[in-house]
Amino acid sequence: MSEDMHERALRLIDKMQVEGLTAEERDELEAHLETCVHCQKRARETELALRTLRSALPRFDVRLVLKTQMRARLRAREIVENAGRMRALWVSCALSWVLGVVSAPLLWQGFEWIGHRWAVSRAVWVTGFALAWVAPAVVAAAVIAWQQASRAMTSDE
Amino acid sequence: MNSAEQEAGEVARGLRRRDPTLIDYLIEQYQYRLFRYLLMLTGNREEAEDLFQETWIRVLEKGHQYKRRWKFETWLFSIARHLAIDFRRRRQPQSLDAMLQPAGTNRPLELEDNASPSAFEQAFQGEEGASVSTALAHLPPSYREVLTLRFHEDMQLEEIAQVVDSPLSTVKSRLYRGLAMLREWLKDIYV
Repeated sequence: MSEDMHERALRLIDKMQVEGLTAEERDELEAHLETCVHCQKRARETELALRTLRSALPRFDVRLVLKTQMRARLRAREIVENAGRMRALWVSCALSWVLGVVSAPLLWQGFEWIGHRWAVSRAVWVTGFALAWVAPAVVAAAVIAWQQASRAMTSDE
Repeated sequence: MNSAEQEAGEVARGLRRRDPTLIDYLIEQYQYRLFRYLLMLTGNREEAEDLFQETWIRVLEKGHQYKRRWKFETWLFSIARHLAIDFRRRRQPQSLDAMLQPAGTNRPLELEDNASPSAFEQAFQGEEGASVSTALAHLPPSYREVLTLRFHEDMQLEEIAQVVDSPLSTVKSRLYRGLAMLREWLKDIYV
């Protein structure tokens, strides 16, 4: 056997474990190993190394599983409850928007009347109307932002 | 639809519902494999235990993102790996660039090695455990990681590439180098 054949056989020994061999490569390696003591030794060492790796059993504490299951159950409940709260919040936001749209003409007339009654400039009462109209959305957005921030803080802890 | 796809579909549906019974079942089913992977990745028993718990909490939180076409263990190990890297980043702050591309290479996000033979000796049992502990402690974590995914988990090379978020060629080269190093260390121990 030439030096190249040994090199190739050593490469094939590793390839067999890492990527697998084609039928031709397997035949070629087997034929070589039948006659080459040096490469046989390498093949045995490789198999021994992998057998040792596979047989090494890490110690595992079953209490870790129970602890993890408990934590996961609590977190699952928390997520479901939060989802329910968020759904309620979105529904109330949607309702508030619909009510806002429906009541906008009335609100406009109300601000216009107050503006005339107290002789307030148009810019002031229009600004008042705009603030009153967006107030529910701003409050809802602030509540959502606050909830998300506190959730992020909790998960960081 | 084959049984594996059917099972993946059930897992995906259960995770979307945050079904506690399914989570309990998955934790039991993958307990040992996930812990072994984390131990090989971190080389630290306490860290592996913390990450074990955090991984399942993350699975619960991100469960709605799991797709039935993915293999569950590939997704699970990817989550565990990202958490391990985040955990180290928080503990040993350094520039993100340095972690992404250490020392002018184009290697992807990796863990720093802080394993010691004693860390593995505490974790592995038996006579062979002592030998393998010494060998593993001398391997870089990126080699230990691919070795465990290939030879403990019997994952395909493409799946390993997905978990470690690296090209196939990188995975192969780590496997060849890791195998050579492992063989060298164990050869010395058994001689």
